[in-house]
Amino acid sequence: MRKHLFKTLGILAVSAFMTWGCSSSGTTHDYSVSDLQFELVGPLFEGPNQGQYALEIDLATVLGDAYEEGMTVTDAHLKGATVLAGDSLGFSQVRSFVLSFASDNSEVAMQEAAFKNPLPEGVTEVALDVAPDAELGAIVAEGKLYLVLDADLAEDSYDGNRNFKLNLSLELTVNS
Amino acid sequence: MLRKISLWAMSALIAFGSLNFELQESPGDKLLGVWEPSNGRARVKIDRIGNKYYGRIVWLIEPNDPETGLPKTDKNNPDASLKNVPLKGYRMLKDFVYNEDGTWSEGTIYDPLSGSTYNCVIKMKDKNTLDIRGYIGVQALGRTDIWKRLSVQPAKK
Repeated sequence: MRKHLFKTLGILAVSAFMTWGCSSSGTTHDYSVSDLQFELVGPLFEGPNQGQYALEIDLATVLGDAYEEGMTVTDAHLKGATVLAGDSLGFSQVRSFVLSFASDNSEVAMQEAAFKNPLPEGVTEVALDVAPDAELGAIVAEGKLYLVLDADLAEDSYDGNRNFKLNLSLELTVNS
Repeated sequence: MLRKISLWAMSALIAFGSLNFELQESPGDKLLGVWEPSNGRARVKIDRIGNKYYGRIVWLIEPNDPETGLPKTDKNNPDASLKNVPLKGYRMLKDFVYNEDGTWSEGTIYDPLSGSTYNCVIKMKDKNTLDIRGYIGVQALGRTDIWKRLSVQPAKK
């Protein structure tokens, strides 16, 4: 009985330590950015067409007074991503969107982070379904990252480009 | 005044230089284009994003799921939240870096049939032929597929 009690207390102690360790490994901060412009350059073909945006996240600017020298992003998760029409064509002929994050670092792999498939009809903005397990920390920690928006078009379009805007919010974990 | 103009000119030159650098073609760009694996069941368009190369599925011989009649999705993705991502458009080649020896490495290839991802190296045999070698751990333990370049032209209306 006593042995069992010690074992239980031991497990509780380890769990408490791990919880403390995780919570003290960094502080979380929300980061939001809006109206990022994506241009899909024509001619566009039936199927997926990509647009990309090079985003720079300066931690000192994001944290303001809370920033201390040497702080880095240890983890990042997408909280929300909304696509808005960037021209008069709106979402016409768009069947789906996929949003991915990429980095120039050869050791950091691209991550699909959100998508909407199929697109609801008659909407003026599209809130993407976020992949909660997409770990974006290594990509965001680079400071410069690429957002890639794929729009699956139902028809070829030889004339002109398509434009979309993106609003997104991230939860950043920063070491302290 | 003269110093101010020189500084402005120098800044403009630096800015132009960096812009020019951004737009510069990389020797690895010979990989760009649309390619077909040996089984002919898909076509993959390779693009550059930043310094790395990625290939996404742009055509499938069988675009719809025979069971549902709807466009195929990545139903074998190990991440359950991504199983409804359209298969057409999926990047099956990711994160390739061009090397001076004429290969593209450090990347991965994804098999949508199994949901498995393998290390991969790409060699260009000639300008229209690629050796795509997927492997686990060491390159000796892998399989090579031959991909052919397609010259894509808009379909006539």
